[in-house]
Amino acid sequence: MELTAPRSQLAAAVLAVPGFVVLLALAGDAIGTSVERTIIVFLISLTAIAAMGLYSGNSGILSFGHLSFMGIGAYAAALLTLPAQIKGATLPALPEWLAVIELGLLPATLTAVILTMTVAGLVGLAIWRLDGSAATISTLALLIITHGILIGWRDVTRGAQTFFGVPRDTTIWVAAAGCVISLVVARLYRDSACGLRLRAGRENAIAAAAIGISVPRERFIAFVLSAGLMALSGALIAHFLGAFSPKKFYFTDTFFLLAMLIVGGMTTVTGAVLGAVVVTLLTELLRRLEGGLDLGFVEIPQVFGTTQIGIGMLILLALMRRPEGLAGLREWEEWLIPPRRTAVDPKPLSPAESDPLDAISLTKRFGGVVATEEVSVTVTPGEIVGLIGPNGSGKTTLLNQLSGVLRPSEGAITKGGKDLVHLPPHKFVDAGIARTFQNIRLFPTLSVYQNVQAAALATKGGRDAGARVAAALERLGLSGVTETMAGNLSYGDQRRVEIARALVCQPSLIFLDEPAAGMNREETDALMEILRKLNSDLGIGILLVDHDLGLINALCHRIIVLNEGKLIAEGSPEEVRRNPAVIEAYLGTSKKETR
Amino acid sequence: MDLILQQTVNALALGGTYALLALGLAVVFSIMGLINFAHGELMTIAGYVLMYCGLAGIPFAVSVPLAVLAPMLAAMAMERVAFRPVRNASGATMLVTSFAVAMILQVLFQNLISARSQPVILPDALSQSVTIGGLIIGVNKLFAILATIVMLIALELFMKKQKHGIAMRAAAEDFAIARLMGIRANTVISAAFALSGLLAGVAAVLWVSQRASVDPLMGFTPVLKAFIAAILGGLGSLRGAVAGGFVLGFIEVFLAAFLPSAWQEFREPIGLSLVVLILILRPNGLIPAATLQAQKV
Repeated sequence: MELTAPRSQLAAAVLAVPGFVVLLALAGDAIGTSVERTIIVFLISLTAIAAMGLYSGNSGILSFGHLSFMGIGAYAAALLTLPAQIKGATLPALPEWLAVIELGLLPATLTAVILTMTVAGLVGLAIWRLDGSAATISTLALLIITHGILIGWRDVTRGAQTFFGVPRDTTIWVAAAGCVISLVVARLYRDSACGLRLRAGRENAIAAAAIGISVPRERFIAFVLSAGLMALSGALIAHFLGAFSPKKFYFTDTFFLLAMLIVGGMTTVTGAVLGAVVVTLLTELLRRLEGGLDLGFVEIPQVFGTTQIGIGMLILLALMRRPEGLAGLREWEEWLIPPRRTAVDPKPLSPAESDPLDAISLTKRFGGVVATEEVSVTVTPGEIVGLIGPNGSGKTTLLNQLSGVLRPSEGAITKGGKDLVHLPPHKFVDAGIARTFQNIRLFPTLSVYQNVQAAALATKGGRDAGARVAAALERLGLSGVTETMAGNLSYGDQRRVEIARALVCQPSLIFLDEPAAGMNREETDALMEILRKLNSDLGIGILLVDHDLGLINALCHRIIVLNEGKLIAEGSPEEVRRNPAVIEAYLGTSKKETR
Repeated sequence: MDLILQQTVNALALGGTYALLALGLAVVFSIMGLINFAHGELMTIAGYVLMYCGLAGIPFAVSVPLAVLAPMLAAMAMERVAFRPVRNASGATMLVTSFAVAMILQVLFQNLISARSQPVILPDALSQSVTIGGLIIGVNKLFAILATIVMLIALELFMKKQKHGIAMRAAAEDFAIARLMGIRANTVISAAFALSGLLAGVAAVLWVSQRASVDPLMGFTPVLKAFIAAILGGLGSLRGAVAGGFVLGFIEVFLAAFLPSAWQEFREPIGLSLVVLILILRPNGLIPAATLQAQKV
């Protein structure tokens, strides 16, 4: 497994987890019953929260449905460990093979985890394409559906009645082991290649697709993995409580666990731990107050619901102060330990292959508006082509079609004889096409290094990712700012990170949408030099949209002019400058008026 | 045939209530991206106002406007106290904030009023029924359908003609630009909450007039359904919210009426599976919000 965080930080993070959990377990073991119970519940909750964070934090999709996986895991594991005698008495209609089975906790948990991951896989296959609020609502529906099935399937689950007699095998050490597994898996996943790709998709789905990431696929992986960990927490809680009903895996607990996760900070494992600690401590404190309290000199009366109100207030206050959660956007070790990456020698980027991109008669309609009308262009690796035209002439729409972000209404796009029109957006980069965006689309909360690395890991099968990243950063002069959060860079630097991210994909063609916008003269000149070198050293073809005609004239071998969605001129800079149609489009002098 | 017509009336009554609630959620969501789970507590507040008015012997014609006014004020207060400080945070943060508000209000209702369900005194006329063309229709159902129609027409006019309505539509399309055009953020958001409170109030009156009781958790289930309806229709799209509300109402009523009795236990899972199926076919909802289509690359 490829890990993407600096070794120094990740090692500390992974070692700290068992340290923290074992200390807690020791404390619980030593102090005794009531504290021990609290700590066991805490550890199991944390197992679940880390799993929820693994999916929701990295994908950015809030899931209400994860408690269904906890429920499935709990019932599945409990059915396997329940003594056959009790099964005979409480579940007479159980199928024969299930009625006689009697496993230990470990094999039962493993079976439950695998079963739950299979179920999650099937659910994921149905909903993996859904985005944003549709995805969230599907998980909400999943919660209600699972609850309905648990209640309705009386022969197996005893319906709404309590399912009891489960051996209480979850000791504090068993809970601790489950918690360590969940936290370590969640932490490693976050900085695995998969996790980084998913986080890139969370930050900007369109840009992620443009560098070859299939966001739905990454979501699916995280969904199934987190479902497995939820099943683990379910098996633990079932064997801790000994008796439970479907209500345990419904809204109340969902809200409670989500509140912990979001108060702590959804995007980090640190946040999951912090949220669980703060909410658990406060709950315990308030629960003591709720029963009334005699301080010797003054007696506080019993107030029903103190706990809920207190938790509610805590959530409000915490989120007003820290909307991103207590831990913010970074893990503790990312704050404390300076990142040290093992230096990798940059691998000289290989020259581009030379298949030209042919677009024939591209038409794109938005409702009644025709944004591009029968535009045919060819871009060949090795040349620099300028694409100009007045505002609203369809430049960006054309670029979006050529790079797969938009699918043309009509027309064909081929590269080296291969049809591209029907490919999904994330496949275009495999055909050697990379791009930047007019409104910068970086992954703002990832470091510069990770922005480029995400692209390297998603292309060319992730081969030589480290060396390619080093080479791309060096070429764009970004080696000094690798660990800065991309969103904190200056405008010009952000544009250069975008180009580095496109370059690391080793494209044969790069499309740049207004790369010099917002840059001063020196920065623009430096950029021109970089682009010239990409072209002459590596033979990469560049399609450049910009309003800076000085830049276009100085850099381009050939210029294409669009006006009102139609191609009105094409040729060398000199030819285009003299073309009457171009002059008319830009200056608006029609023959009638001059007459 | 009669049965189908009869159930259609039931579906219209239930779907109309869902539609009003979903509209309330959508009005707020379209402007500030908040899915307000405390919307249900606005309903509960309206329910309690009806209850107290009934106990005090206030005529129904007076208690209804009061029951609609109270959640409007409560919604504006909620916005001012809880949601304004997290206005620019992520959707998840705002959502959890609204859970917290809902939880606090529920505990307050339990402590200050009663944890048990309380009867609401309603005019006798509501529990009678009329016969129209061979169909026996409960007056409360008829009342619900008529009220829904009136509300939808009034809302359409408000959004098309009235200054605040136009400002809200502008803010929903592009909040930043709307502010540059001189629309005040606080005013328009406050107005959106007032409108959502009004819709919750009307929905609560319709809900209570079918059940004649109110409890601290009264709003939870209908608002959960409305949340599903709003997303089914296309979150942030007002027409979508109405369509989603009616579609969900029809799915529920017709499954309850026509599903074989052995399957009735699984009615809710089946209904929601249908919703998810529709979402898989139309991921942005039945009538997607305009802002989704206008997204620039």
